[in-house]
Amino acid sequence: MLKVQNINVYYGRIHALKDLSIDIDQGKIVTIVGANGAGKSTLMWTLAGVLKAKSGTMTFMGKPYPPNAHEAAAKGIVLVPERRRLYANLTVKENLMMGAFLRKDHEGIKKDLYYVYSLFPILKERTNQYAGTLSGGEQQMTAIARGLMSRPKILLLDEPSLGLSPIYTAEVFKTIQEINAQGTTILLAEQNAKKALEIAHSAYVLETGRMVLSGTGKELLSDPRVQEAYLGVRHKTI
Amino acid sequence: MFLQTLVTGLSIGGVYALMAVGYSLVFSILNFSNFAHGTIIMLGAYVGYFIISNLKLGFTFSLVGAIIGAAILAVLNVKLAYTPLINRRASSLYLMITAMGVSIFLENMVYVTVGSHFYSFPEIFKQTSIKFFNSDISPLDLWALVFSFISIYGLHLFLTKTKLGTAIRAASYDMTIASLNGVNMSRLISVVFILAGSFAGLAGIFLGIKYMVYPTMGWITNKAYIAAVIGGLGSLPGAVIGGILLGVIETFVSVYISSTIRDVFSFSMVIIFLVFLPAGLMGRHLEEKV
Repeated sequence: MLKVQNINVYYGRIHALKDLSIDIDQGKIVTIVGANGAGKSTLMWTLAGVLKAKSGTMTFMGKPYPPNAHEAAAKGIVLVPERRRLYANLTVKENLMMGAFLRKDHEGIKKDLYYVYSLFPILKERTNQYAGTLSGGEQQMTAIARGLMSRPKILLLDEPSLGLSPIYTAEVFKTIQEINAQGTTILLAEQNAKKALEIAHSAYVLETGRMVLSGTGKELLSDPRVQEAYLGVRHKTI
Repeated sequence: MFLQTLVTGLSIGGVYALMAVGYSLVFSILNFSNFAHGTIIMLGAYVGYFIISNLKLGFTFSLVGAIIGAAILAVLNVKLAYTPLINRRASSLYLMITAMGVSIFLENMVYVTVGSHFYSFPEIFKQTSIKFFNSDISPLDLWALVFSFISIYGLHLFLTKTKLGTAIRAASYDMTIASLNGVNMSRLISVVFILAGSFAGLAGIFLGIKYMVYPTMGWITNKAYIAAVIGGLGSLPGAVIGGILLGVIETFVSVYISSTIRDVFSFSMVIIFLVFLPAGLMGRHLEEKV
């Protein structure tokens, strides 16, 4: 569905992504794990069309990649960015409706609004509250809901569990699986590697801008290198 | 006397508010003070003047022509002068300097082509004033007041009730995220300039009728700028409140104290605000204002 081959992305002068390739199949949950500064967010912003790759090829649904953010959104590539980035000056409802900015099917929008309210009942109570006044967990839910309101073909989630309590984190991961079950492809960048790998169909490990490992979620969970670096498991030195 | 001063003050304040709203709209999206706004107001007044006095088409055409003309000029301004800078991600300081350049350029273009004459609008509103509780209220003041309030209220409805208006408010908070939501930013910026230009045209007509039409009339937007600062740059309710407040206070100062001290008073007010309340009455952010 989404194919990236040997892209190089620079963040200012920093060579943030080096010859990076990934392949995302329709209907799957794909996870990118990696430490702080490994380039996970850079990859997400590149896929969303905000950052540009200097070289390499990218395709979406077999067609050339949309050249900028608003065209990527129109094609169904939707990013829920790190740290939520809600419009604090708008109400929850207005934030959600901004997610549906490009859509003209009023019935469908209404339906999806019901759907996200059923996923996150607390948002219905907060609907006319300014997004800036929500708690961190509620903000994350609003951000995911705003992404869903775009009816994404592929949802890019950047650190959805950042700064959340364990209860909220569990809920967010449960929701991700639920969204995926509805048919939405998901690319998930997470520092919480264990949880992310547990729900992933396939996964990549990113280290200082390079893909160093890939496999199914289970394979990586049992890979000693991954266990040592990201899961806090100590192996005896050989 | 008091009522008369109040109405005059409100009507001047209304025109200040019209101008300040244009400033604030642009500031809220692009984070710079568009000093070419006054020039667009001046050009709008010229368009309106020539429609009414040379083409003899009447006030309605003059008003509509000024609004459309100023809106087109505002879009040309952004497309030719600002967009190339925005695409290169120039900081807002460069945009502000460019705006000053545009303003000087256009003003001198008027000197070269139209000349430095002062034109006065033909009589549109009856000079005879309306008697109301022993006060003489001029119909022009009343109309300026009514037009300003209706158009600002219309803008408020547009920004709060429509999809495009919500997108403008969203983008004023976070442009990158708005583009992730599918908003075509260069198109949205054009919409903002069309709105700001329309308000400039409206303000230009009323300024032209009340005073005169001449190349440097745009400098009166200094007052609108003060109004926007008092209200809080980038905030629309702030621009309206700042404009009305400034208009009323100015009129009262010139009637009850002295008209020579009026501008001293306005500029002192802005200094006081910048020192003690730099975000203005309803301002949101304090970082990097130019």
